[in-house]
Amino acid sequence: MDPRNREICPKLLDLIPQGRKWYQEEKINNTDQEKKLELRLGPPGGDEDQSTMKKINIETRNNMKQQQQQQNIKKESEDKSFHCFNGNHFSPSNKTTYVPQKRTAPGPVVGWPPVRSFRKNLASTSSSKLGNESSHGDQINKSDGGEKQVEPKKEGMFVKINMDSVPIGRKVDLNAYNSYEQLSFAVDKLFRGLLAAQRDISGGEGEEKPIIGLLDGKGEFTLTYEDNEGDKMLVGDVPWQMFVSSVKRLRVIKSSEISSSLTFGCSKQEKKIRH
Amino acid sequence: MTQDRTEMSEDDDDNSQSPPLDLRSAAIADHCSSSSSSTPNKSRNCMALNSQTFPDHVLENVLENVLQFLDSRCDRNAASLVCKSWWRVEALTRSEVFIGNCYALSPTRLTQRFKRVKSLLLKGKPRFADFNLMPPDWGANFAPWVSTMAKAYPWLEKVDLKRMFVTDDDLALLADSFPGFKELILVCCEGFGTSGIAIVANKCRKLKVLDLIESEVTDDEVDWISCFPEGVTSLESLAFDCVEAPINFEALEGLVGRSPFLKKLRLNRLVSLEELHRLLLGAPQLTSLGTGSFSHDNAPQSEQEPDYAAAFRACKSVVCLSGFRDLMPEYLPSILPVCSNLTSLNFSYANISPDMFKPIIHNCHRLQVFWALDSICDEGLQAVAATCKELRELRIFPFDPREESEGPVSELGLQAISEGCRNLESILYFCQRMTNAAVIAMSENCPELTVFRLCIMGRHRPDHVTGKPMDEGFGAIVKNCKKLTRLAISGLLTDQAFRYMGEHGKLIRTLSVAFAGDSDMALRHVLEGCPRLQKLEIRDSPFGDVALRCGMHRYYNMRFVWMSACPLSKGCCKDVARAMPNLVVEVIGSDDDDDNRDYVETLYMYRSLDGPRNDVPKFVTIL
Repeated sequence: MDPRNREICPKLLDLIPQGRKWYQEEKINNTDQEKKLELRLGPPGGDEDQSTMKKINIETRNNMKQQQQQQNIKKESEDKSFHCFNGNHFSPSNKTTYVPQKRTAPGPVVGWPPVRSFRKNLASTSSSKLGNESSHGDQINKSDGGEKQVEPKKEGMFVKINMDSVPIGRKVDLNAYNSYEQLSFAVDKLFRGLLAAQRDISGGEGEEKPIIGLLDGKGEFTLTYEDNEGDKMLVGDVPWQMFVSSVKRLRVIKSSEISSSLTFGCSKQEKKIRH
Repeated sequence: MTQDRTEMSEDDDDNSQSPPLDLRSAAIADHCSSSSSSTPNKSRNCMALNSQTFPDHVLENVLENVLQFLDSRCDRNAASLVCKSWWRVEALTRSEVFIGNCYALSPTRLTQRFKRVKSLLLKGKPRFADFNLMPPDWGANFAPWVSTMAKAYPWLEKVDLKRMFVTDDDLALLADSFPGFKELILVCCEGFGTSGIAIVANKCRKLKVLDLIESEVTDDEVDWISCFPEGVTSLESLAFDCVEAPINFEALEGLVGRSPFLKKLRLNRLVSLEELHRLLLGAPQLTSLGTGSFSHDNAPQSEQEPDYAAAFRACKSVVCLSGFRDLMPEYLPSILPVCSNLTSLNFSYANISPDMFKPIIHNCHRLQVFWALDSICDEGLQAVAATCKELRELRIFPFDPREESEGPVSELGLQAISEGCRNLESILYFCQRMTNAAVIAMSENCPELTVFRLCIMGRHRPDHVTGKPMDEGFGAIVKNCKKLTRLAISGLLTDQAFRYMGEHGKLIRTLSVAFAGDSDMALRHVLEGCPRLQKLEIRDSPFGDVALRCGMHRYYNMRFVWMSACPLSKGCCKDVARAMPNLVVEVIGSDDDDDNRDYVETLYMYRSLDGPRNDVPKFVTIL
């Protein structure tokens, strides 16, 4: 992935629209070179206010690395800085105004809010007991019981995710979600801007369109994954917890590429996509 | 929650200032081990005079008899620094040892200094590891400790571990090596399963306490309850609410039936309401109960429903109630008969609405400790404030712990609590909206506060009424709450908040910072202004090399410093490591990090008497 990044990165930088108002942060140590390598993202024509920009922190743990790198004087020029959306954390104290935050609902951050894992699943398990049959969550818990290893949901479960035509990969923490819908929403947030930026390069429309229909095959893109046996599958066929325990990485592919690769009569119940 | 010590903040353990096993002690340790006891001219102070007139061994016998009455860790540490004799005798008479960081010293040092240890309290991973900020398999292994103690302390009776990695083999060795073993308490631990528990249950014939609290226990499909020996047991406390594995209920019922000393019982989610009912009828002497699921099995209800309220009524001694893991709310009123006796109530697994909640809390006049979900809303908190005048500790957890969730509690609840519960000492409050005014009110109304932990879940969120940062609120807390020892801050915060902390937070021992501050000055204020600071955990804040260097005069006097996602450079961390040889400076990264990168994803540093550990995983670099 890295060599591809290095090739493509100058082009991707060019795509950052000059005319739009992007987040601009004054940093004492920022050289031109560093400025070029910073990927900026923000609402087009929106507030430049630094405090608002704090909200555009679609972070994963990997992203934080990039933010720190840009603070370093001895910054390396080649890196995965495209993962990074400039958080406002490291600006020097030249901020003077504080504007009530607009809620732009950034993606989940690792370990925030600081609630231990066993408290996080309350929404899906306890309340669903009210007058219902045994909830899905209960069944999954019991079936996981036989495994020797620690249940994945207790730890940060990071998987890489790539999207067709976007050279930049990301990582998502699957433990932050309880359903496919939430995951689909997160994928949209992660890639919407990058996809639009990529389209801008290739001369298409650079406007951001929501990435929808990832799960039902109706959208332009479809979400697929590679499981622990190396097989590629469509996301959404199996219960959520089963998916979480077997997924190794995710890929968002063009829907048009699925139908030609579906194979039938496999031993597994799930559909597989063989590339 | 039944064990006050383990459930309350860590600061509860070291209330008093104590530099246990600090570097000065180490110097004395080395000095003493090389010299014999009968060289009075080496003693430093007045004891030297006495030892010329009395034989040493008489003096030491007297000392021994006196020092064994010293319980407090802090007092013992002070006594051990008086002179060599006192050091030696104190070491011989200390029976309970507390080690706040398992990597601060080696097990061998422990066994060489203290010869007659019966009880060990050991803590491993730093707290931020609970929130997935640290990769798994970082360390904190119990194995070297248990194997060293197996040889040195065959009389060991109690082991209390927090955030340690404990394997089934460790538990087996423990069960084999200590015939008089009485108490095993595992808090936030992992690495073991029900097979390890079964071995402990079976072989530790004098077991009084088996408490598994918030630990990850793998289900090895072993019927560990049946592994307890036949006959009357010594069990006083059995807590397994974190064990996500079905248990043999008949065996449990039998066990409870033959445990006449059992006072504390915390069941897991897989014990139903009907089963609880049967247990209660057989154990009315319980003082602390964790109810399990508090719901029915899925089978349709039998024609005649058990009288749950009657069962609770029979438990006249219950003062501590928790559980309610899968609550069927229509059964909640069955606990009413015990409400007026309760001093501790934990509803933090139950999604209870204000309407369900108010009739219950209305009866809990004696409540001192209360944990709940924010589903009770501000309205529920107002009811708490109206009734629970003796409240000392409050914890409100989010039912929906996401940044963008609705947040049913706010400054209104906090204000109400501050007005109604004037004796409040400790609060943990998750919310989405807060105001400086409410926090200031709490600082003024609750002078007894020692622990103030406010978590405004949306990052960088200001006072939602004024739009200003939360500086003034937290400033008031440090100014007005003169007994404050633990603080966790959140919301939009500038360097000013930290200036307040440095100026007024003179007793603060534990500080948790996330997404706060503007510049290095903020951290500098704290490092220079808070002389009692022991545990510092920071994430995602703009504190860099300049700030780190400001603390060098303090790091030997602290238990640890954690900084993750802060703009630190490896070069600076290396400088610190070089300048402070007894400080272990760990840089923790994720698996696919390049060694050449200069940034530091996570810095975790701590003082150590025995140098860097020898079990470093590949994602950790010790500088």
